[in-house]
Amino acid sequence: MRYYESLYIVNPNYEQDRLDEVMKMVVDKMDEYGFSVINHRVWGKKRLAYSIQKHKYGSFILLQYEAELAENLDRFERFMVLQKPILRNQTVVLDARPEVHVEEEPVSEEKKDNEDPSEDKPQEEAVAESAETTEESVEDTAETEETEATSDEAPSEESQVDDSETDEAEPAEEAEVEATEEQTEEVQE
Amino acid sequence: MAFQSRKKFCYFKENGITDVDYKDVKLLRRFVTDQGKIMPRRVTGTSAKMHRKLVRAIKQARNIALMPYTNTSTES
Repeated sequence: MRYYESLYIVNPNYEQDRLDEVMKMVVDKMDEYGFSVINHRVWGKKRLAYSIQKHKYGSFILLQYEAELAENLDRFERFMVLQKPILRNQTVVLDARPEVHVEEEPVSEEKKDNEDPSEDKPQEEAVAESAETTEESVEDTAETEETEATSDEAPSEESQVDDSETDEAEPAEEAEVEATEEQTEEVQE
Repeated sequence: MAFQSRKKFCYFKENGITDVDYKDVKLLRRFVTDQGKIMPRRVTGTSAKMHRKLVRAIKQARNIALMPYTNTSTES
């Protein structure tokens, strides 16, 4: 009993209905060969690293299954190669049983549906927050400017005061100096 | 006065990764040049065991068109 994983690329021009048809065809064939499917899901439409049959894009479908007979694997491989809608397929042996992803898929879709409006909201909130932050920053800058302005004014006043004080102080000192000079003159006489 | 080369380390051992998945193209792109060539072990510092797994994964990704065999400017 071994676990395998097949990833196959379906023609990108196929819509969901025809994609489902292809997937159903593959599942029917797997039932015929006695494989038990664990996961079978569309991985998404992706850009191919190189063009295959002149297709630049491809719908990737992931298939994980359990097989008993390896002989049927070769037949299954042959079947996949012969299908026209399947551009390329690759089968890989898995070390352990893969986790079932099928149950999560509808939940994730619902989540996506729920998330879509919720995603918009956070963005709006984020925008609002950013706007607020910008406003705050503007306010901050205004405040800083004000403080700077006051700080600019304050030192000038202080300097003026200092100047006046010094002006007043200097004459006093001069007077004192003059007085001392007079005293010295008197002493000399 | 000799130049001290930066110590190389195995990305997978550092991050506790034991298996390389060929579908994880974002991870595989780290170990491929712009041209799409697989970088040598002496450049990336990957351990021998993980490098073997890495090479296998890159080649599988190439086969299923998730990664390019070559990435020349004329092709794209």
